[in-house]
Amino acid sequence: MGKNGYQKQVMEIYQFINDHLYFNRPDIEVKGERYNSAILFSLITGLKGGKELIIGEPGLGKTTSAEFICSLIYQFPLGVIWGSEVSGHPEQTEEKIIGRPDLGKLNQGEEDVVWTNFSQIPVKIVDEINRLPETKQSMILDGVDRGNWEYLNEMIINDEYCLFATANYQDGGTNTIIAPLVDRFDAMVESRYPGPNLSFLIGKTNRKDHLLRHPKYEKDLYRVLKSKVTYEKKISKMEEICNAFGEYVYETLRVKPLTRKDRDQIRAEMESLDLDLDASAFTRMLLAELSFCERYGQKRAIENCEEGCHYTGYLCHQIKNCSSNRLPTSIKQYAQGLAWLVEDPEIDIEHVKSVVPYTLAHRVQWKDEILTQKERTKRDDPFPIFLAKEAIKMVSQRYREQSEHLKDALAIGSKIFQGESLEPLEGDHPLYVEIKKDIHARRT
Amino acid sequence: MTVPIQKKTLAISPDRDGLTLKNPFEEFKTFHFRKIEIPLDQIVQSTEIVMDRIRQGYEKLLEEEAKELVWMVQYNTIIKAYEVAERYVKEIDYSAEDIEDFCFVLENTQKIPYLIPGPAGIYISALCNYVQEEEIVLKLSELKTEINLIGFRLPKGKRLVIEGDTGDFTGIGLEGGELVVEGNAKNWTGAGMRSGKILVRKNIGLHTGEWMMGGEIYVGGRVRGLGNIVEGKVFERDKLVYPGKVRYPNLYY
Repeated sequence: MGKNGYQKQVMEIYQFINDHLYFNRPDIEVKGERYNSAILFSLITGLKGGKELIIGEPGLGKTTSAEFICSLIYQFPLGVIWGSEVSGHPEQTEEKIIGRPDLGKLNQGEEDVVWTNFSQIPVKIVDEINRLPETKQSMILDGVDRGNWEYLNEMIINDEYCLFATANYQDGGTNTIIAPLVDRFDAMVESRYPGPNLSFLIGKTNRKDHLLRHPKYEKDLYRVLKSKVTYEKKISKMEEICNAFGEYVYETLRVKPLTRKDRDQIRAEMESLDLDLDASAFTRMLLAELSFCERYGQKRAIENCEEGCHYTGYLCHQIKNCSSNRLPTSIKQYAQGLAWLVEDPEIDIEHVKSVVPYTLAHRVQWKDEILTQKERTKRDDPFPIFLAKEAIKMVSQRYREQSEHLKDALAIGSKIFQGESLEPLEGDHPLYVEIKKDIHARRT
Repeated sequence: MTVPIQKKTLAISPDRDGLTLKNPFEEFKTFHFRKIEIPLDQIVQSTEIVMDRIRQGYEKLLEEEAKELVWMVQYNTIIKAYEVAERYVKEIDYSAEDIEDFCFVLENTQKIPYLIPGPAGIYISALCNYVQEEEIVLKLSELKTEINLIGFRLPKGKRLVIEGDTGDFTGIGLEGGELVVEGNAKNWTGAGMRSGKILVRKNIGLHTGEWMMGGEIYVGGRVRGLGNIVEGKVFERDKLVYPGKVRYPNLYY
């Protein structure tokens, strides 16, 4: 790990943004080091090609933080990023987001698609996504999920992309983000007020946007994006210009953006990191609590818990919906990113615990009584992240109490799957029941 | 014609139709699990072993001292039975909680008419006197039979609390311990006690403190009658009734 110095290079980008572009207070601690969650998670989102929802009050740097990070991770000048952003408003159309017919060719009786910059570049920012009406949010579901953008029976596939969406808190002009779209976001962070002193400093100093602008490269990139060559060719042409911009940034700011090769190498290194046994057992324990229902077989948002259920003390009794299969993927992706960044050889339980609240907060639907009970609790985080952190504390406590027994139960489960004639372990947690269900399903 | 039924195998076949089954616990396959039973099982099991040993001791006591299942309360028989009980009890590793469980086992067992109030009391007293804990609380209010002779020779430094009523000869020969009966005690309570304290929250029967040589008996309710007390004090509702001329021994009032 760290032989090629990529971690150092990425941490220099973090430091540069932290010191010059996005003033903030640290709000998350990982293995004794304090970070700002918005920058840290956005960096991982950029590196892993994830999807991130950034929430916060208006004017607190939700979009700007994402723009700076994308510019330095993907070597795009800010002008191009701005020109490819999609903003959420009620009149938004598929033609403005994904692509439109080539009108010139259409007049000649030919069908061709002019793809938007948003659909073409790997950096995708949707500003104020919750101002998109719920019906129109469905338009971007597929693109957000898989990087497939379809229009008029034509399709482009982004083999490398990351997505940032910003959302304001609910007000008169906002809509609820539909559940399937929310679930597609890997993580949610808050871009927070940096405090009056740093805020004053931001007001006092000039805007820093120009540092990451380059009008010539921006024009060149626009030209490539508009050109009629194939998407694959566009990508390689864009890469050349981006590399030139990267060199310019390094010469002027002494911070080195990442090339495509760097990003691929980093991704390969991250991919090689696996969860250790505690991280795996803890994640399974959490997933069991987020999906288990003794009476109805699993959680379903339309079904209510039984009164007096034995599992009243677990998270399943506090939530309405079932955790999706995307949650463990998000947890692993971000924990992998974090473990790589702090140069650990494996993903351990601390990495998992650090990322889980941010991957979980937007996905859980808490029961009304839990919301009422906790809404006035003193806290520092936005309510959904606070609730997720509290939940993780409870699961961690349970894990501390029974980690060995739980790992034994999983190991015995493995032996049974290998054909050994053993009995699954008993225990007081939904996960033991789920292990038995898996074994029973295979045995019968 | 009978079709042979194939016996279902409980072990999982690692391969089905050529497709390798995914083991969802794959990463734990090298984890060396400890062969353990769940703690509750262990507790139940060890409690049962201890209870068996306590019961065996009691059976032997009955074999030796109450062969006809009849037992006469005489000074000699009590002393002898206690010596036998002591011998068995010393060899068992048990806790105060086990003593309470034993009281209920005695009453609920179907094997033989186990609970003979005399030997049972002697045996329970020996258990109390040799248990490690200094304070023993026996919640016996649910017990249908009142056990005699409980608190026999309770030594100094021990406190025995009985929640419920006790039978005859409660706390006799007390040797400096503190015996608290949260309910009523019958006749001959504190007889022959040498030192220590007996506290009966409710009423007490006849011959209280017979031949007592020292110590104090406190009664929260009424004393039906005092025995021939040699030395010591008896209080009834905080009022000293012995020594004093409040009433004559064994007089009903």
